[in-house]
Amino acid sequence: MVLLNVENLSKKYDRKPVIDQVSFQFDSGKCVALIGPNGAGKTTTLRILSGLLKPTSGSITFTGIKQHDDIRKMIGYLPQHPVFYKWMTGWEFLIYTGRLAHLSKKEATKRAEKLLERVRLTEAANRRIGKYSGGMKQRLGIAQAMIHHPTLLVLDEPVASLDPIGRREVLSLMEELKTDMTILFSTHILSDADEISDELLLLHDGRIVESGSMDELRSQYQTAKMELGFDGNLDDYQKKVVAMPAVTTCYIDRNLLHVTVTDIGAARLQILTAASTEQWPLTSFAINRASLEDMFMKAVNS
Amino acid sequence: MQWWTLFQKELIENVRNVKWIWVPLIMILIAIMDPLTNYYLPQIIEAVGGMPEGAEVQLPEYQPDDVVMMSLGQFSTIGVLTIALISMGTIAGERNSGVSELILVKPVSYMNYITAKWASLALLVLTAFALGMAASWYYINILYGDLSFGALLQVLFFYGLWLTLVISLSIFYNTLFKTPGIVAFLTLATIILMGLITTIFSHVLEWSPNYMSDYIQQMLITGSVPGELIGTAGVTIILVILLVFGSASIFKNKELAG
Repeated sequence: MVLLNVENLSKKYDRKPVIDQVSFQFDSGKCVALIGPNGAGKTTTLRILSGLLKPTSGSITFTGIKQHDDIRKMIGYLPQHPVFYKWMTGWEFLIYTGRLAHLSKKEATKRAEKLLERVRLTEAANRRIGKYSGGMKQRLGIAQAMIHHPTLLVLDEPVASLDPIGRREVLSLMEELKTDMTILFSTHILSDADEISDELLLLHDGRIVESGSMDELRSQYQTAKMELGFDGNLDDYQKKVVAMPAVTTCYIDRNLLHVTVTDIGAARLQILTAASTEQWPLTSFAINRASLEDMFMKAVNS
Repeated sequence: MQWWTLFQKELIENVRNVKWIWVPLIMILIAIMDPLTNYYLPQIIEAVGGMPEGAEVQLPEYQPDDVVMMSLGQFSTIGVLTIALISMGTIAGERNSGVSELILVKPVSYMNYITAKWASLALLVLTAFALGMAASWYYINILYGDLSFGALLQVLFFYGLWLTLVISLSIFYNTLFKTPGIVAFLTLATIILMGLITTIFSHVLEWSPNYMSDYIQQMLITGSVPGELIGTAGVTIILVILLVFGSASIFKNKELAG
């Protein structure tokens, strides 16, 4: 069942589009990753969905909500850098947000207890939030987003600002949560998206450049990839390699020539033949499968 | 229900950041400053070495209503400044820090959010003002002469309206700007500008809120409420309502992030 349908969503500041004609939809129960480099429009998209920003044009349709109903009831939102009232305790903050979302005192108490346990903050519940670590704040942020049983959990870069331990904590929490709710989260760390999401939306320069389930994208972008290392300037070799018939793209990154090919066997033969006849100063030659990173680069470049 | 939750949070916040202690203390201090220093002026002059030989100073005899006006005079300057400073970040600060991003994505009614902030500030400021004037009233009765409790209540009511207008102005600018300093500046600038306009167009603006203390003085001297005071009170109440509703509707149409 389609939960959210976004059509031709645009947001302009001073006529300059931050996001441009963005359309996507996903089913309930999915964990969807919105991927893109910094400045691609991820935060803007999520803020529009949660009602903090108004779109310049386009429409958002939620299944199970009436035309003029408050969209905020359906959504639990965690901003990229959540800021809390430092003087409140974690417990007080959860009760406060729960009450704001129209839970009764009893419901809010019950829900806060359960969520604190779920995000493993029960022990810190009565400490001031000002004394929480970054990871604890992020987990409290997730708890407050879920306090009112939202249909959709929207998380903006939930792990970007965390240290490795905090990151692991939040990722495993999301792994748990995705079994019983719909999550839309943004990230620029592709391996995180690879790890926990079912579906991907690739955002670049305010446009969706690619979307689909992880498996769909894998098979669509299933191309073999080679990495060549050289002594000396790579630019000349890039031109030669990209001209070979079995090669589709070729770019330089971190002193390696990254080559995607249509056929591994043919490409290997062509490259190695050229290397031996022209005596290329090859230092390494490796073959591996396309990663999410390559998919992304490919989608962005096409 | 939701309004009460928001209001309660404001109260607890102002208790924890001890505003509920220092704001009343400041208001009491500025209210009793003039009544005490004027009464003890001869002793103070004596203590710092007295007047030079031959010089003679005739100290005026103050009546209770003169002294009330002195206290109000302090409220109109230091008091208003204090209000501008304690209220400048109530919404602007929350938007600036980003905490409003968590609060306003919950189904919070903007009207509730604004009016709860307004009401909690009004409660704090008016309580502090009442305590200050009560202290002033106490010393006036001991040191200068009788001032009826009824007169005190009238002063509290009418001047309280003026202070409520100051709060409402600050709330209004809070919804327009994200920087607390700008909010405080504009609140004070507006009050000064209103005073200026009132002076220039005094013949048509006789119900201007800036005349509030003039009419209060008249009331204390004559012992009855002048018609102009009622008119001024009415105009002030209307302005307060317009500002609060204006704030809520600005907030509703505003983009609350970014």
